[in-house]
Amino acid sequence: MLENLDWGLPVISYLFLAGLGAGAAVMSGAVLLHGGPTGWHFSLARYGALLAPIPVAIGSGLLVLELGSFQAGHMFKFLNLYKLINLSPMSIGTWLLTVFLIASVIYAYTYARPGAKFDDAFKDLRRVMAWIMIPLGLGVAIYTGMLLGAMPSRPFWNSPVLAMLFLLSALSTGVAGMMLMRALFHDRSLSPDEDRQGGYILTSADTVFISLEILILFMFIMFAHLTVGDVGYAITVILGGSLTNMFWIGVVIFGLLIPALIEIKYIFPKLLHHRQFTVPHRLEIAVPVIVLSGGFLLRYVIVVAGQITGPVGI
Amino acid sequence: MTDSHLTISRRDLVFSLGGSGVLAIGAAVLAATQRAEAAVATRQVQYGMLIDTRRCIGCHACSVACKSEFNVPLGLTRSWVEYIEKGTYPNVRRSFLPRLCNHCRHPICVDVCPTGATYKRKEDGIVVVDSDICIGCKYCIQACPYDARFINPETGSADKCDFCLHRVSQGVAPSCVNTCQGRARIFGDINDPDSEISQMLNTNAVSVLRPGQGTEPSVYYIGADTADEHYRARGQYVDVSTHRKQQDRR
Repeated sequence: MLENLDWGLPVISYLFLAGLGAGAAVMSGAVLLHGGPTGWHFSLARYGALLAPIPVAIGSGLLVLELGSFQAGHMFKFLNLYKLINLSPMSIGTWLLTVFLIASVIYAYTYARPGAKFDDAFKDLRRVMAWIMIPLGLGVAIYTGMLLGAMPSRPFWNSPVLAMLFLLSALSTGVAGMMLMRALFHDRSLSPDEDRQGGYILTSADTVFISLEILILFMFIMFAHLTVGDVGYAITVILGGSLTNMFWIGVVIFGLLIPALIEIKYIFPKLLHHRQFTVPHRLEIAVPVIVLSGGFLLRYVIVVAGQITGPVGI
Repeated sequence: MTDSHLTISRRDLVFSLGGSGVLAIGAAVLAATQRAEAAVATRQVQYGMLIDTRRCIGCHACSVACKSEFNVPLGLTRSWVEYIEKGTYPNVRRSFLPRLCNHCRHPICVDVCPTGATYKRKEDGIVVVDSDICIGCKYCIQACPYDARFINPETGSADKCDFCLHRVSQGVAPSCVNTCQGRARIFGDINDPDSEISQMLNTNAVSVLRPGQGTEPSVYYIGADTADEHYRARGQYVDVSTHRKQQDRR
């Protein structure tokens, strides 16, 4: 399905990885600024901060691989992007991404020492960087949707809701990344209560983001389906067309509904009956992995669908 | 007395009115002349093309001329011809639709270019790509509603029709126009009211491709068949094919 497409796996992976990193940065900053000196806030913020630059850097590297100039042997021609700034979403995105990468490395550095604590020497710098990371992360998460949405020649993408969909997917995959970090690198300095509270907050946040994502996806599809002409035709690619199964089974059921239902099953006892929040360790790993796969599949379906549909008529 | 006074008064009035009228007309003519001169001096040249599909026989001379003019790599095209077949016997039609970059008044490819490598020339309205700057990000390829652009694997940058800038700037017609057997292509300045293309545009029913995209193309057609494969939904036989690497129209 990817042959003859101008934007293939590198771009799809970039959209997923940049969203993951940006979402993790936003959540990390928000948790740090919201929380006080209690252990679990700092612990979660640390996971997000250390995670954020890695996928964004990998994704940006993949983007260079897809450039025609790179493939023709001009390895560093992409630096032309830094010779000017204009109103192209890609130009704005390049600068935003560069600033994000630098800032996220500084932000991660404030957490990097093994014994990093809430009120260590980096406390003030960390708080300032957290305030910077939130708008930067939101910008990186949103601009990719604007980049795709800016073109009437790609009716599937040409929707103002697309940027919102990418933002929510970025936040939910960012939180999933933090959940996975928490499950893999168990923080032993936390008391079991604090650890559970951290897990509960992440799981609830992910459930909220996935629910909003389903809502936005519903709007995206309904508005397109209710339109005639280019947009109405383009949306048929996931409503009976060649990407139908991958979208409904892969993205909606596997990537969104199943993880949301599992998460709800474990947060409801605490939310409604104030019981203890406990999740089997196997699920603590499986759920974020499913959310991340769903986030990747969403980018895959959207990037491919946009390129195999076009304006009706000539 | 009163009458003569009135007559004189009328005569005065007529004279004064006439005099001022002559002055006003003179001033207006002068002003108009100046405006016209100013307009000629500042009028933007916008090169455009009119393709009379009634005269096109689908011989591909334009495709070949373009290929050899620019040494366009195999499978890729700056200029191409689509075959449109429709109907069922005996009510059938096969027609040809020569395609190229539309050099739009609102080129969205220029809007999305992050490096400024593609731009619309002020002096003649031709949309060009500077392959020394272009990094090959393919954003313009996605944005073009006419699929006029491709990545040239030799330079790694975006490539497309430039109305044969190297010829046109020397006062020579573009290669496809020069070679067209049926004289189906007319090239010129569409902002010059005296040019052949302007006169043809004003005296024929012309259309542009995908006007709903809002790009305002500078390439016009007479008798373009807009039949599309979507017409099949009406139960009509339609086939649109090209000789490009991806055979379907995009």
